[in-house]
Amino acid sequence: MSIDGRSFAAAQAFLLGCKTYWTRTIYPAVREEYQAGKKLEESVLYQYYCWLERHLQRFKYSGRYGLQPYHAQQRQRLEAELRDAAVELAAKPEYPDYYTRIDIHQHPGGVWSDPIAGFVYERGARSTTPLAGGRHRDLHDRLTSVALELSPRPSRVLDMGCGFGKSTRPFYETLKDAEVEGVDLSAPCLRLAARDAAAAGAKRVRFRQMDCARTDYADASFDLVTSTMLLHEMPPEVVERTLAEGYRVLRPGAAMVHLDFLPKDDPFHRLIHFGHSKRNNEPFMEPLARMDLPALLKKLGFRDIRIEPFEEADGVLEPGYRSWRFPWTVISARR
Amino acid sequence: MIPEQTFFPDPALDRAFGVVMALATEVWVLKDRVAGLEAQLVARGMVDREALSREPADDVAREEREAFVAHLMQNLLGVQQAKGTR
Repeated sequence: MSIDGRSFAAAQAFLLGCKTYWTRTIYPAVREEYQAGKKLEESVLYQYYCWLERHLQRFKYSGRYGLQPYHAQQRQRLEAELRDAAVELAAKPEYPDYYTRIDIHQHPGGVWSDPIAGFVYERGARSTTPLAGGRHRDLHDRLTSVALELSPRPSRVLDMGCGFGKSTRPFYETLKDAEVEGVDLSAPCLRLAARDAAAAGAKRVRFRQMDCARTDYADASFDLVTSTMLLHEMPPEVVERTLAEGYRVLRPGAAMVHLDFLPKDDPFHRLIHFGHSKRNNEPFMEPLARMDLPALLKKLGFRDIRIEPFEEADGVLEPGYRSWRFPWTVISARR
Repeated sequence: MIPEQTFFPDPALDRAFGVVMALATEVWVLKDRVAGLEAQLVARGMVDREALSREPADDVAREEREAFVAHLMQNLLGVQQAKGTR
């Protein structure tokens, strides 16, 4: 029995409405309980907080109105849309165990195993941060601005873990003369990225299937290396190899900029963030937060190392901001 | 099969709340559907929205509603409807 578009959209809007309520009302109430000295393991509200975080995401992706079954109904059309996507795929792709063992974001099959996974992920990403809403795009534009401050006129840019190309787009749109390379493990996401770039008329961007911890690029061949929400999906040893790879492919003096999540150093934020890691099937958020990134970057040879809060939407870093948000952080350094 | 994570002291509540949220989703999908139908019917002059929304003068749905309520509430009595063992 197929689900019609109106019912799908209504159900997804309802789930997003619940998530928004969770973000703006339930989270601040949990925080108030914590600040009042209540033990969260004894809080009924916190139990619902956790349940909703896990299961609103499950309903979003799976079940009667889930993103996965809805897109699977349209498989034939969606696969046809990607048929001509100009993408360089590995002859024999090797997917690391950490990548395939868990379906990240509770996306059934992960972001890589189903040919239509890119569409599912793209649709899901539109409602990842309810508060940012229609301004979600801004997040990538804002990071692009940060990166271009550090590397004003790059002629070659590498976007590691580019996914379906959302993070790559502001670079190829802003830097018309630069060569922009997006690499990712997921063929379905890369195909979608390439389709969208072609539709946008981008001529100097390539999407290639590759492990960003082990690329085939020449030493010192880029002026800027970036990633967005990549590092927290990897175990620490792969984070280290990825940062080292960034160093290898950067020209001396060139900048590397990663946007990721690092919680504040206080018990409440760490409890919330590490809980999210478990509840959203993203097990490496916690190990990333426990890494000593400045020391690692220094060891790898980087200089001008900066770990700074990132304002993904206006006003979110103000002291009075109460809603749930990811602990967005920019990790930047220079070779 | 991997067991689902649980958050309540009684895992039965974890599952039951899933049923509640699934039903709540269905309720919203139905409300949205009815609103869509109503809008189309009004646009074609087949439904008078004001008359539809007015508080009814008499309780025409009483019998039907009472049957619905009984069907729902009798579950709370814990009484066998057909003789059997305890």
